[in-house]
Amino acid sequence: MKRDERSFRVALVADRYVNPPPGGVDGIAAAVEAGWGVIQLPADDYPAEVAQRLLFEVAEQADEFNRHGYDLVLVGQRDGMAEALARVGIAVPDAITPESFVALKDFLGGRPSPQALRRFGPAAG
Amino acid sequence: MGVAFVAHCMLNQNSKVGDGAHCAGVYSPVVDVLRANGWRIEQMPCPELAFAGLNRFWAVREQYDTAAFRGHCARLAAAVAGVIALRVGQGEDVVLIGVEGSPSMGVTITSSDPRRGGRPEWPEGSPELVSGEGIFVEELRRELNSRGIGFPRVAGETHAIPGHDEAAEQAAIESALEG
Repeated sequence: MKRDERSFRVALVADRYVNPPPGGVDGIAAAVEAGWGVIQLPADDYPAEVAQRLLFEVAEQADEFNRHGYDLVLVGQRDGMAEALARVGIAVPDAITPESFVALKDFLGGRPSPQALRRFGPAAG
Repeated sequence: MGVAFVAHCMLNQNSKVGDGAHCAGVYSPVVDVLRANGWRIEQMPCPELAFAGLNRFWAVREQYDTAAFRGHCARLAAAVAGVIALRVGQGEDVVLIGVEGSPSMGVTITSSDPRRGGRPEWPEGSPELVSGEGIFVEELRRELNSRGIGFPRVAGETHAIPGHDEAAEQAAIESALEG
């Protein structure tokens, strides 16, 4: 498989950081600056049945990234996330509940090189 | 303003088929338009990622059009339709942002080549692009129809389309948002 522009870094991000309220921490902007992909977690006010279905899909996708050595982190919290991850056999990854944009950007930017990136090497160009 | 249901890879290019990621993670040209217009973002699951994995080959519709993949897409569509139903019930405007040319996420252009199969080798070019929806989008349409919910307005990311132009892509998304 050829190396493309992907970062091999994926953050599971609580909805409040994907769609931040006024004055909230902008998780998308931090992910852009630090070069991370985002998997959005269901909003806190979703009914349990709706949220559980979405969390199941999030966990399956997280498992695929985890198995291939991508770096995974959790930004914020979401009830049911730990249980959904446990069902696919992975632990809750390193996490942050950021109090500021800078704190989140520094957390993402300070992570070690993903195992998958070491396998593929740097992006061309 | 309303809620934009976006293809998974708009926020996570790591989910793309190998050699398909256009940037590190978030595809800003689409996200920027949605945010500039005050739309809430809802990321849909990637139909191909959990089914065929990160090491999947590039593929056309015919290679994914199996009962098993349609069943997988129907499961995802039910999850997404649950959120769409919630938002529509709250009186929100809804749009769908797909990936043109994708066998699963195409909204007006998908890919088709009934002869493709076997050893993955084919010439450069895009003869497989055809009008139509990808398989997940078809299953979502079916699910929303079964719930009596109208299908949202659509737009798509257009990297796979010959002559891709980022400004035109953004203008098409803005047009879909305006309705």
